[in-house]
Amino acid sequence: MSRRRSPGQVLGRVGLVLLALPALAAVFAPLVARHSPQRPSGRPLLKPSLGHPLGTDDLGVDIFSQLVYGSRISLAIGLGAAVLAIVVGVLVAVLAGWRRGWVETVLMRLTDVTLAFPFLPLVLVLAAFFGRGLLVTAIVIGAVSWARPARVLWAQVLKLREYPHVQAARAMGATGSRCIVRHILTRLIPVTSAQFVRVANAAIISEAALAFLGLGDPNHASWGMMLANASSNNALLTGAWKWWMVPPGLALTVVVLGFAFTGYASEEWADPRLASPTGRLRFLGRRRRRPAPAPQTAAGAPATGPILSVKDLVVHYDRHGPAVVKGVGFDAPRERVTALVGESGSGKSTIVLALLGLLPGDPLVKGGATFEGRKLLSAAAAARVRGRKIGFVTQAAMNALNPAYTIHFQVAEAAALTMPIGEARRRAGELLENVGLPAEDHGAYPHELSGGMRQRVVIAMALANRPDLLIADEPTTGLDLVTQASILKLLGDLKDQLGLTVLLITHDVQMVLRVADELVILQDGCVVEQGSVATVAADPQQEYTRRLLNTRLSPLAVKV
Amino acid sequence: MLVLAVAIVLNFALPRLAPGDPIDFLIPAEQANRVTPEQREALASAYGLDGSTGQQFVLYLKNLAKGDLGTSTRYGAPVRELLADRLPWTLLLVGTSVVLSMLIGAALGFRSAWRRGSGSDVRTLTGVMVLDSFPPFFVALLLVLVFSVQLRLLPVFGALPGSDAQGLEFALEVARRAILPIAALTLSGIGSAFLVARSAAVTELGEDYVTMAAAKGLDGAGVRRHARRNALVPVWTVGMLNVGALFGGAAPVETVFAYPGLGRLIYESVLSRDYPVLQGAFLLIAAGVIAANLIAELVYPYLDPRVRRPGAVGS
Amino acid sequence: MTRLLEVQHAHKTFCTGAGARRRRVVALDDVSLSVGEGEIVALVGESGSGKSTLGRAVVGLERLDAGKAMFDAVEYAHMSERAMRKLRPQMHLVLQDPYQSLHPGMRVATAIAEPLEIAGTGNAKSPKVAAALEEVGLTPAGTFLDRYPHQLSGGQRQRVVLARALVGRPRLVVADEPTSMVDATLRAGIVALIRRLRDRFGIAFLVITHDLDMAAAVAEEVAVMQKGRLVECGPTPKVFAAPSDEYTRTLLKAAAEVGRLDVAD
Repeated sequence: MSRRRSPGQVLGRVGLVLLALPALAAVFAPLVARHSPQRPSGRPLLKPSLGHPLGTDDLGVDIFSQLVYGSRISLAIGLGAAVLAIVVGVLVAVLAGWRRGWVETVLMRLTDVTLAFPFLPLVLVLAAFFGRGLLVTAIVIGAVSWARPARVLWAQVLKLREYPHVQAARAMGATGSRCIVRHILTRLIPVTSAQFVRVANAAIISEAALAFLGLGDPNHASWGMMLANASSNNALLTGAWKWWMVPPGLALTVVVLGFAFTGYASEEWADPRLASPTGRLRFLGRRRRRPAPAPQTAAGAPATGPILSVKDLVVHYDRHGPAVVKGVGFDAPRERVTALVGESGSGKSTIVLALLGLLPGDPLVKGGATFEGRKLLSAAAAARVRGRKIGFVTQAAMNALNPAYTIHFQVAEAAALTMPIGEARRRAGELLENVGLPAEDHGAYPHELSGGMRQRVVIAMALANRPDLLIADEPTTGLDLVTQASILKLLGDLKDQLGLTVLLITHDVQMVLRVADELVILQDGCVVEQGSVATVAADPQQEYTRRLLNTRLSPLAVKV
Repeated sequence: MLVLAVAIVLNFALPRLAPGDPIDFLIPAEQANRVTPEQREALASAYGLDGSTGQQFVLYLKNLAKGDLGTSTRYGAPVRELLADRLPWTLLLVGTSVVLSMLIGAALGFRSAWRRGSGSDVRTLTGVMVLDSFPPFFVALLLVLVFSVQLRLLPVFGALPGSDAQGLEFALEVARRAILPIAALTLSGIGSAFLVARSAAVTELGEDYVTMAAAKGLDGAGVRRHARRNALVPVWTVGMLNVGALFGGAAPVETVFAYPGLGRLIYESVLSRDYPVLQGAFLLIAAGVIAANLIAELVYPYLDPRVRRPGAVGS
Repeated sequence: MTRLLEVQHAHKTFCTGAGARRRRVVALDDVSLSVGEGEIVALVGESGSGKSTLGRAVVGLERLDAGKAMFDAVEYAHMSERAMRKLRPQMHLVLQDPYQSLHPGMRVATAIAEPLEIAGTGNAKSPKVAAALEEVGLTPAGTFLDRYPHQLSGGQRQRVVLARALVGRPRLVVADEPTSMVDATLRAGIVALIRRLRDRFGIAFLVITHDLDMAAAVAEEVAVMQKGRLVECGPTPKVFAAPSDEYTRTLLKAAAEVGRLDVAD
């Protein structure tokens, strides 16, 4: 149960209610409206009265009846055009996305061309030539609006066809139609419904615009036509606008809004990212450049004790959700490598994000943590040390560079927090050289570098302000073996060179045994065991530790 | 380019595919019943409608290449001249509102994304969607009602001042008359720009580089700058797609304000069944949209270095 | 003597991107490899070495530009899709991501029954489905049949995927990184399961992995690929103890440096 509904869920409900009104009016029109929407039922241009709640138009036709029956036209056009457009769109998308080759080239070129046309002018021209019947209008609008759903769904099909379950089905010998029906169409439903609502919405607006411009079906007064009639009878100047213009205009707005809200809800359904973390970014603080922090140890007596100390740390992602980290305590001794080891779900990354104030959403963090003897667990305290005294190499860091800026800029930007820009630029160059990037690569954009190179850039970035503590979250995961080895070597060299303290977060026990000094083993948000690597490896006290240490599969050894 | 070609072919084919004799589309509506067969034939040969379809197409292309879009059945004037008269006014309206709606929509959308899920986000989101649900011509009618009829602040109709104002005064008058149509079009364009800006920024905020930017010590504004830089690409794309939508929206809006632009011309030609003018206007708008797409393409490389420098992705 | 699977001189080139970005990537460059009946062969290499492409080509998801692929002495690399359908039930593909390998809207029973339905030999209700679940250690099978993938843990999902692989009794399973997304403590279970399925049903496996430790534990033979070429192939103990190729040595050294393999003195 989620405590709080996302905007989409709320809007979706409101949207359905808004749509229910005209839908009911359309279904029960003969019961609601007493007069004919086409034939005169009184004198022309009557003011509202009991008999004619909204008066009559220039021909003496009851306006209220027109309004009620108008909902049938709007909904019929909207749904009719949407059904047509979606059927065509799905067919084109699936055919192009599944068959590929020339079929795809032809169909998608056609889609692009249709998409490039200005929508309303095209509908206008087509309607002008093909007539004004309701059916014709629905077909014309549908025939113009299939392209966007086709394009969006095509992209989905391309993505879906590479999904492992589709690939596996193909390898099993499933026929194309079986793959499409069972594996593709079933997963297209959310996106398709979002597109359906979108087209219906656009169709209703277009119909109104067509009718307003005099291209409506003269036998059926739609809301757009009512507005046109009112406008040409100078309702604005006579005061008749109150009952002749506002009601159809509002009715249109209500329907369109209803569709827009449900459409937004269904888009959230299709792309949950739009809904997910409901909370704001917490690192909103505004902070100017500060002078380089004086090394703590230089001031007087060398600092002693652990550089980072965590006690009874409890973290909830959500104020009302369960605890993910359940009372964790550990120390990171100076100039040593401390490793937090655990499998997925152990809470190891959450601990670090909480310490640095980087958890998204609205988390609850309790317990104590000190860095260099100063308290850490507040947004302000975290912002003070982040990037300045604590360098952080985030998870999947090689994908953590902004694609729009050069690597040199991104490193210099970090350095500029504590030094003037010119000096920061120089320092960025030095740092990049230092982690093994030759000068000719400094102007490169991230996409121009290999994963290992990008990982090096991120390490340079983390070191920009000469931090005392370097936190690295899975620094080798996702890299090739040979690159992994070189990154580990780089981290080791940097640690010795700069006298860094390192906090390493990883799932890889075997790697940790090679590089770490201290071991903190986590399972399900709790510390299972901790101590120096030598002690823990030689004599594990806990069953889980033993299992984790025994994850080596083969007894084979290599000569190096 | 392909789009323009299709538009040209479509223009040629429509009168011939539509129900009825293509010549009917060339006869002024009010004279339709009085035209003799001889007159019809004369018209047909004047417009080259008596040759084979192939010959007709070649003739049509030749005329088009010379800039000849045919003759208005209503005014008897060349379509080209009519269009040239009206185009600047529509460009003024559409150009201004494209820029304004993109700027306002993006600013609101980014602001909403930074605060997604909060009260102010939901309020803005709802507000923009309500606004977006008013059909542009209904907004136009309401604007007229409020500012012209009730408050009498701004003139209702036309683009040019009635008096023979000069210089600065003239420009001011033109501006005064353009305010309401521009407002109506801008309001109708904000919605899509807002939604795209919001969802693009929300997506970017979920990217790893944003966490990284915060981790390296940047403050809120710095982190948001990183996200915004990448969210600009879809905002720009949709902003340029809006050009087509706003050209379309211009027809009913200009009609409401009796503004002498292309849209109003389309409306008039629909009413008087002036098909050559309708087709010419359509072709011109299609060309305008294509130009907008071209501009969009030319700007991409500046927005996204991956387009500018499609470099090797090493292993 | 012919072996169950024989790939000879396989070539495959991909074109990626369009226009100015268009480039050719050689994924397979004269690769020859064979897998005997009931044999487990590990194909190791780094990302971009072409090992996955070879796996996809073996199960017919990718067509070779040149070269042969023979299954039980039948050449199928250039067969029509229709003719290949006869061969399909005898092969199966297992992919690395247990989260995406199952359709999120399909129940376990339906997912496992898919090979049977395609071959026309059974459906979600057939006893073979439950038996397959028991076989991969998801017992009692009845409690798993009606679940959806999101109601299973990652390790359980990978077992369901393996149950789907064995239900149709194929003769060859190509497993692409079957353990790379499973927690370390569960890896051993998957490796043991693969060996058990081979022992019980005589299913041959081509295991594609970047994990040398896993390759050493599961396979009798190891093939090493680099940049589309097969650089070394031989019995597992021999390749690990005395690699003949320079690249294999680099790989083994790196594995030892990051703790994936022990170092012999």
